[in-house]
Amino acid sequence: MNRWKRLAPVTAVVASAAMVLAGCGGSGDDEAADNSKLTVWMMGEGSEAQTKFLDGVETEFKKKHPDTDVVVQYIPWLEAPKKFQAALAGGEGPDVTELGNTETQGWAAQEALADVTGKLGGWSEGKDILPDLVKNAQLDGKQYGVPWYAGVRALYYRTDWFAEAGVKPPTSWDELVAAAKAVQAKKPGTYGIALPGNSELPFYSFLWGAGGEIATKQGDSWKSGYNTPEAQKAVKFWTDMVTVHKVAPPAAAGWNEIDARTQFATGKAAMAFGGSWQAGAIKKDNPEIEKVWGTFPIPGPDGKPAPAFAGGSDIALWKDSKKQDLAWDYLTVLLSKQKDKEFASSLGFFPVYSDLVSGGEYANDKFMAAFATTMQNTKLTPLTPKWVEASRTKTVTQAMNSSVIKGQKTVEKATAEAAAEMESILNAK
Amino acid sequence: MTTLTKASETSAARENPARRRRRVDRLPYLLLLPCLVVICVLLLWPLGQVVAMSFFRLNNVRQLRGDREWPWVGFGNYAEILGDPFFLTVLRNTVLFAVANVALTMILGTLVGLLLNRLGKRMATFVASCVMLAWATPALTGTIVWKWMFDDTSGLVTWMFNALPDGLSNALFGRADWTGYGWFNSPLLFFSILTLVVVWHSFPFIAVSVLAGLKSVPSELHEAARVDGASSWKVFWRITFPLLRPVFGILVVLSTIWDFKVFTQQFVLAGGTQDRPTFMLSIYSYAEAFSPPPKYGLGAAVAVILTLILLLVTGLYVRMVLKQEEES
Repeated sequence: MNRWKRLAPVTAVVASAAMVLAGCGGSGDDEAADNSKLTVWMMGEGSEAQTKFLDGVETEFKKKHPDTDVVVQYIPWLEAPKKFQAALAGGEGPDVTELGNTETQGWAAQEALADVTGKLGGWSEGKDILPDLVKNAQLDGKQYGVPWYAGVRALYYRTDWFAEAGVKPPTSWDELVAAAKAVQAKKPGTYGIALPGNSELPFYSFLWGAGGEIATKQGDSWKSGYNTPEAQKAVKFWTDMVTVHKVAPPAAAGWNEIDARTQFATGKAAMAFGGSWQAGAIKKDNPEIEKVWGTFPIPGPDGKPAPAFAGGSDIALWKDSKKQDLAWDYLTVLLSKQKDKEFASSLGFFPVYSDLVSGGEYANDKFMAAFATTMQNTKLTPLTPKWVEASRTKTVTQAMNSSVIKGQKTVEKATAEAAAEMESILNAK
Repeated sequence: MTTLTKASETSAARENPARRRRRVDRLPYLLLLPCLVVICVLLLWPLGQVVAMSFFRLNNVRQLRGDREWPWVGFGNYAEILGDPFFLTVLRNTVLFAVANVALTMILGTLVGLLLNRLGKRMATFVASCVMLAWATPALTGTIVWKWMFDDTSGLVTWMFNALPDGLSNALFGRADWTGYGWFNSPLLFFSILTLVVVWHSFPFIAVSVLAGLKSVPSELHEAARVDGASSWKVFWRITFPLLRPVFGILVVLSTIWDFKVFTQQFVLAGGTQDRPTFMLSIYSYAEAFSPPPKYGLGAAVAVILTLILLLVTGLYVRMVLKQEEES
């Protein structure tokens, strides 16, 4: 009787659809507050410099807590949301975690993070942290994270190719296109600019540069700025680089920032967007490139540098952790002005303390100057826990730009639809 | 009809003593029990949970842990999904993709099966091993390699198109330089590549099953037909196909089920859950449930809809198996 044998795979197939959803559940056992170990989650792959820095932090931390071992685990950025969800569902999470500053509100809304309003208020050094960044880690007036470092994107360019083509770092949109075309003409087989068509943060500099907004809060509801002439101008310029000026290839519609930067690192593009902290990753792909690169601020349409998104990381305490005080002690060592500056200078970030950023040393650094200029003019993405859905899940902005590059929609249609979708997400009950 | 049932009832009554003796035959069922328990724990319990979840508003991980209330929404999640025009796109993608893939998999699989049947022993072994390699490759690994082949700068496919004579390439496609071409840009192109990957992965099973079926057909039938002067085409449709009809039926249904729930290949090729215009039901369910902010209830509802569609197909399959056994 083979009937059931034959049915088995069918049953398995049917149920496997369900299995996807079954992995969750099960609760972690309450473990007694055991101070012998403090688990810290850090984002990214963990460079040598970062590991060394964190070892130093641990040494400092151990002066106060000699019996506590700090266990640092690195989590790739893109894995983080899944990892957080699993930790939250299973009850086994870290004590301290780094997280991207665009995600803090979303995880606070999921009750993953501890409220540190009181602790931050009682920490004297913390009063000098840049207020915009502090505000970005709040939900309903409560503090759920403390800014750790900040950075902005600028444009990396090939100084040698620019010299060959006889162009200077551009300071306006027209010059940007002209420079890209000139280099591309001089260097056949390369792209003028590695445009990350599937990324949102570099695009926002163009949006803000043109005077547009992502979304603004009007009374109780959010209003998207995408169907304004300013935003349309930015979308048109961004997508025209592929479709009209052809200084980036059609495949750019699917590139994220890493894809685009790889084009630059491997000598296939003359310009690419990048943060100061990404210099290391680019050098890893091509150690030689350091000799022939420079940076300049992302230009606005009219000759002034465009504003940029203040990207970076926050440090938060995990709500389920039984070692809140211990974790806070670690946080204050990690985020102390001295350590923050050390970290910033070793990895190419900016510290989050206003007195440290405004110091002249960055402005005089050939490589960092472009970033320091942009740091003076930063903006934030909409401050709501719903933003993560528009940004990461529905990827409203990326989809809008990609659809224009792919020729599926006109600028007017794409911006109108994106505005409507964004408003429906941000205003959902 | 009624007389028939009555007749069978009386015959059953007459057979009663014999039945009692057969009670010893419970042993097979007893042996099946561990398997059933495993199936219940691993399949039926989660399935039940998913169905239950689809009736609640679950937007917080802590609800899964039981730390928070589960607000009942009845068919609210289903109404939300079915009322969203995006669902139609997803359903259309899923159905069209499944139909195209089942057809292509069956045709290619059957052709290769016929080829294997005709080849000499050595060559058949060689071709069969090559074909089985594709089947044995894990979906994830295979798809990553395919994605590399379609890489826009250094992929093999890009290189091959670049190697075409410029004039020919221009005449056929209107472009000579393929470096930087967006292979995954348009949904149609994306689905074509996905189809290529999925068919490549699934045709070996069809080929081998068809081959097994062919081996069971007495060769005299074919020989006789050939002696009578029938062409290969005729031999296939008049002899092979009718004899293998049950095999084909089952293979079609199995393929349909597999192609409806394609996930891995799509997830890898699209690079995650960003490319919403190319969503199909399984990835849609996953994206709803697990992309931040999580919407487990909605995701579960999509999974249930997918399960219902698959149950329908499974029902067909079961009926076919039963009918077949009655006939034989």
